[in-house]
Amino acid sequence: MKLIKCIIRPNKVDEVKDALARLNIAGMTVTEVRGHGKQKGHTAIYRGKEYNVSLLPKMEVEVVVPDNLTDDVVKAVVQAARTGEIGDGRVFVLPVLESYRIRTGEKES
Amino acid sequence: MSLTQPGPGSSTLVTVFESARAELEAESLRGAGGRTALERYADRVDAMLRQLFAEVAPADLHVAVMALGGYGRRHLCLQSDIDLLILFGGRIGTDEERFVRRFLHPLWDLGVVVGHQVRELDDFNRLETDNPEFLLALIDARPVAGARALFDGFSAKFHTPATHAYILKALLELIDQRHAAFNDTLYQLEPDVKDAPGGLRDLTATRTIALLTDPLLLRRGPADPARFDQAEDFLLRVRSTLHLDAGRNQNILSHEMQERTADLLGYPGAEPRQRVERLMSDYFRHARIVSRALAWARKTAPIPVGPNLGLSRDGIRFLDPIAAARNPTSWIGAFQAAIDNGCEVAEETLSCIQQHVDRFRADDFFPEERDRAALLGLLKPRQGLYARLSEMHDCGLLGRVFPEFQAISWRVVRDFYHKYTVDEHTLLTIRNLERIAHTDEPLRLRFRNVIESIARPELLVLALLLHDVGKWRDDDHASESERMAREVLDRLHMTGEAREMVLFLIRHHLRMSLVAFRRDTEDPEIVKDFSAFIGTEERLKMLCLMTLADVEAVSPGTLTPWKEELLWRLYVDTYNHLTQRYGDDLIERNQAGLDELLRQRPDDLSSEEITRFLEGLPQRYLQLFQPDAIYRHVRLARNIHPDEVHLSLECSDGIWTLVVATLDKPFLFSNICGVLASFGMDIIRGHALTNPNGLVLDVFSFIDEERFLTLNPDAHAQVLHVLEDVVSGRADVTTLLRGREQGVLRASSRFAPVVRADNEASGRYTILDIVASNALGLLYRISRVISRHGCDVDLVLIATEGEKAIDVFHITKGGSKLTEAEQQGLTSDLLRTLEGLQ
Repeated sequence: MKLIKCIIRPNKVDEVKDALARLNIAGMTVTEVRGHGKQKGHTAIYRGKEYNVSLLPKMEVEVVVPDNLTDDVVKAVVQAARTGEIGDGRVFVLPVLESYRIRTGEKES
Repeated sequence: MSLTQPGPGSSTLVTVFESARAELEAESLRGAGGRTALERYADRVDAMLRQLFAEVAPADLHVAVMALGGYGRRHLCLQSDIDLLILFGGRIGTDEERFVRRFLHPLWDLGVVVGHQVRELDDFNRLETDNPEFLLALIDARPVAGARALFDGFSAKFHTPATHAYILKALLELIDQRHAAFNDTLYQLEPDVKDAPGGLRDLTATRTIALLTDPLLLRRGPADPARFDQAEDFLLRVRSTLHLDAGRNQNILSHEMQERTADLLGYPGAEPRQRVERLMSDYFRHARIVSRALAWARKTAPIPVGPNLGLSRDGIRFLDPIAAARNPTSWIGAFQAAIDNGCEVAEETLSCIQQHVDRFRADDFFPEERDRAALLGLLKPRQGLYARLSEMHDCGLLGRVFPEFQAISWRVVRDFYHKYTVDEHTLLTIRNLERIAHTDEPLRLRFRNVIESIARPELLVLALLLHDVGKWRDDDHASESERMAREVLDRLHMTGEAREMVLFLIRHHLRMSLVAFRRDTEDPEIVKDFSAFIGTEERLKMLCLMTLADVEAVSPGTLTPWKEELLWRLYVDTYNHLTQRYGDDLIERNQAGLDELLRQRPDDLSSEEITRFLEGLPQRYLQLFQPDAIYRHVRLARNIHPDEVHLSLECSDGIWTLVVATLDKPFLFSNICGVLASFGMDIIRGHALTNPNGLVLDVFSFIDEERFLTLNPDAHAQVLHVLEDVVSGRADVTTLLRGREQGVLRASSRFAPVVRADNEASGRYTILDIVASNALGLLYRISRVISRHGCDVDLVLIATEGEKAIDVFHITKGGSKLTEAEQQGLTSDLLRTLEGLQ
């Protein structure tokens, strides 16, 4: 199992969700986050005065998928969230050691 | 008539007066100089004055004689002054002065001490604030002789809530001063029965407080009103003995007088000491009743805060609930007064409204323009607005004033987000706005600044109040809300820009959250489209705040800091686009939206003429001005020749608008600003526009603080004349300004000026952003520096927010943007100029 953690533009959440749904991935966690990567924010100017926008609003989408689906999911997310501009985000893939369903206590494989 | 000889009929006056005094003396000697005796004496004096009046007043003289103070209350003591007001209906001239002499001299000859005031009725148009004792005496004014209509005229002018409130305040101060002189205790061994705490003045003050605030107050007091009256009679009887014995206005119950008074009042006891003790224990008992009643009245009395409105401990109350029940236009005032005084509307008042509200229709609450203005005034986002609107809703008033709002009362809409009924969600949006308007949270100050920069925030509150009324239906609520809002605005007689603003906000209340949270706002095209849609900074500000307040009212967690940030960034980007890039989008011949303007044109304008005028102006122009204004501009720009200037100057709501149409030339903008400054005009808003053919259209809104235009009949023509002379080069603006240079072009500044040049924002222009302390002549100074640098001023946006001037200049030099070096030279020169102003 892999945890796939995607940091994407806020307006791309729906498209990513749809893309994941097409791969029959139903469960996911979506969080509003703020951060910056290479983009490092930019300086906005309002009424002659600079104000720094160092942390940009992003969305984080997390899904846990079987190993054999990992590549497809990553591809789907990249395709759906991409604009080609700076600030499109990142996808991280992490190993998941174990997973339990809380309601039943049963271990998932 | 001789000043010393008795006037006509004085011999009979002597008889009347002497016999009245003899009677009161006899009563006082029996210890019976109490209320009844004094009233009888006052009546006898009335009769004497009426007799005198009949003898000396010419039939055609418009005059009234009124009794004031103690005499007005008919508690005239033996040695008290007879306080009179002689009131004339018209101006005081020779005839009036002669009457005053002929009326007063016989009284003086009788030895009567008259305290007289002479006034014209119009003197009561404004409150005499330098003599609070006189105002208090006027409270007891009573007509004695002369024209009754004059007394009524006086009463109408004098008895107003504002006067009452002022007098009450003055009275309370006088009481404190007087008590302090007696070391704040009534237990004096030799008390002054008039002035000491618990004495006659306190008694009168208690009644006056009730009269000014709540006539029924004393009935609810701690003491039986009968005991209060007994105290009064006792104090008056004592005072009568003092006056009898002293032969002058002497009110101190000294040790010596205590024995005499005890005897006259018939206190039993073998020894004088016993009789005195009984007298004094009676005195303290009565004085304590008076003192407690006064303390209670001071604590409990509602403070008058508006017509028929008082501020009491439990909030705003109708002083006369029966009158209030008949007059629904006064109800809104109760809620406004509560906001003004930072309190609630009393439960009793809410019940009164609730009981009667169903008898009235929406129109009954605001039949007159001032009632409609008051309703809008209530909607300013001040602290307490949400709480007051909730009270209005709870007692049924809100749903009567806005029946459309009733449609969403307790309305439940099931979705995944909303946590409250639609009516409460709506009221919460207003609470949120109210909170933003008063927040000190660092991250929210930016939104607070936006609220403070809005000209009419009450329109935003009205839009919030109505934005979801269409939710009584299940689908497409925004357009249904807009339809219903039109009916509300019809009833409010709201037209023009204000109406369009409210409807725009309601119709599009979901738009900004959609763009901010669902679109890629980093994409310049998205911002550009949104800017085109929103059109003006004022709409942007209002819609941004509306979105913030609306999202936050959905549920406690809906508006996250993350969403706030997204919204703020869209706001800033759009604001910058609107103020800096609009010069790139010009009106074209086949511009969308022109059809409507052309179709509705007045007969004297051809399509061709309008199109020729508009072509090449920034597209923003169409959003800034209503069609009527555009047609006026087209007419103004007709047949302009070089060196000619066409002007129009109008005033509305205290703000003057000058429209200038002319052909461009160097220093033009600066010259116009200079002329306005030379007349002391403070420019607060404006737009300067240029089209590619060199036509200049400048629209300035300014305040005439010195009221030059209002006070001088030919000022209007003079300003226009000087403008023509300066623009055509016949006069020099620096000469005009010379007299003002010293005083005018200086401002006290609390912040450093900001000047920023930008070549990126616009495709055509160098943008100069200037934020500085507002000052008379500021624009003149700035634009002069720009012109001196050889730059053309193509477009200008002028805004003021409180002390702050925010000006955005679009400039070019020789048709191109400025080079880096030119920018630096200009900005440092501008900064020097602005810093020199501080």
